[in-house]
Amino acid sequence: MITLTAPAEDQFKAPSPDELFTFSPIINGVDWFTKPVLLALLSSVVVIWFCWAAFGSPKIVPRGVQNVAEYGYMFVRDQVARPFLGKDADRWMGLLVTLFFMVLLWNIMGVIPVVQFPVASHIAFPAVLAGSIYVLKVYLGIKHQGAVGYFKNMMFPPGLPKGIYLLLAPIEFLSNLIIAPFTHAVRLFANMFAGHMLLAFFSMVGFWFLFEKLTPLGAGVGVVGVIMTIIFTGFELFIQFLQAFLFAMLAAMYIGGSLHAEH
Amino acid sequence: MSEQERRPEDDGQDFANAAWSIPSYLLAGMAIYGGAGWLLDRWLDTSAFFPIGVVLGIVLSVYLVYRKYGR
Amino acid sequence: MMKAATLLAAEEGSNPLIPHTFELVVGIFSFFVVLFVVGRLLVPRIQKTLAERTDAIEGGIKRAEEAQAEAQNLQKQYREQLAEARQEAGRLREEAREQAAQIRAELREEAQAEARRLVDAAHAQIEADRQAAFTQLRAEIGRLSTDLAGRIVGESLEDEARQRRVVDRFLDELESSNAQAVR
Repeated sequence: MITLTAPAEDQFKAPSPDELFTFSPIINGVDWFTKPVLLALLSSVVVIWFCWAAFGSPKIVPRGVQNVAEYGYMFVRDQVARPFLGKDADRWMGLLVTLFFMVLLWNIMGVIPVVQFPVASHIAFPAVLAGSIYVLKVYLGIKHQGAVGYFKNMMFPPGLPKGIYLLLAPIEFLSNLIIAPFTHAVRLFANMFAGHMLLAFFSMVGFWFLFEKLTPLGAGVGVVGVIMTIIFTGFELFIQFLQAFLFAMLAAMYIGGSLHAEH
Repeated sequence: MSEQERRPEDDGQDFANAAWSIPSYLLAGMAIYGGAGWLLDRWLDTSAFFPIGVVLGIVLSVYLVYRKYGR
Repeated sequence: MMKAATLLAAEEGSNPLIPHTFELVVGIFSFFVVLFVVGRLLVPRIQKTLAERTDAIEGGIKRAEEAQAEAQNLQKQYREQLAEARQEAGRLREEAREQAAQIRAELREEAQAEARRLVDAAHAQIEADRQAAFTQLRAEIGRLSTDLAGRIVGESLEDEARQRRVVDRFLDELESSNAQAVR
């Protein structure tokens, strides 16, 4: 990290978002090719490679990679698809498995040594997935409930007093069509963003007080930093998994809501 | 989904639906009615309608969530 | 131009909520590639395999059930056959006993009949002998008696017919008195 301000030279300075999330191009002159882009492409390659190794020619009796990948598949099927899509679950497994594995890998990039950057902490990547799900959700809703029926079911859920509909319909509209896809993307992004900041902060504390400016007093702080880094790495791994699960779960929820009107 | 074909997992689904809808509804309620109050304030040159709108939005959102998932 | 782009990128970088255009493009590209390969090509394969596995497991269970049913059937059949054989053996034994008894009875009957026949034959022989002896004796006695009487009386009883009448009468009397005595 290069700090331009002079007085900060011999003082610990917490990493700023700009330092952590802005990257210069890897190859000079190819502006678009930055670390997040490289990691996103790498994630896709890894997911495809992994799934190909596991499901390319699947065996009735699973072995090795197929065993591991089947755990993932079963998890998505039993925890994500079936609870929200019921008998339609199998039709959407392709999409949900793709979402789960991709987001999981994007996130896990944040704790892999050397790589150490969660792809999903750049809003563009969650936004692409959430946007695709959003388009699919509206398309399915109109296809299965009709253009009028979809908006009617969404904005005027049955079982409410007549007069209140006028007040609640705008809330339903805004919530379902604007805020929901936004939070879908932002929840993942914000979790990864904050997690990366936290990890970077603690590892920076450890690095600074143990290597850059080793003092008897500062060593304790540095040790705490290192310990916290280790603890938070484990915690982040959990959060990364959880967020991948939630992202796929919300996608299943939106798809399920479009296939059948809410009761 | 009709009452007859309720499966045990529907309860979990309802719970998840509610849990993930609440923040979204609250935000929407606050934005709509807070926004309306803010516009009203600007138009009438007052300052009372914005907080009233925000509170109304929250109340309406909570009511909506309660009616949809509460029972 | 290039400088403007870099500047723009730097500008975008400052607000984490504004997506970078090129990242959007790369994101869409990588998402749809993965969706196609994993979602379209690979997931149906594992779904097919999982269905086959379920079938195989269910088929295995079904086969085991069938085998068990067959074993039970065989055992039942075997038991039935055993019971049948036992019954048959009992029946045969009973039959043999009956046959033996019958044969014994028949033999006894035959022996008894034979004995009776022998006895009867003996009786008849004795009767015939007796009759013959009697007839002969009768004629002899008659002649002897007349001879004796003639000799005693001194009178020849020439007349054959008369002689015989006298003798017969005598004998009849003798016989009747004899019969009376017997009775």
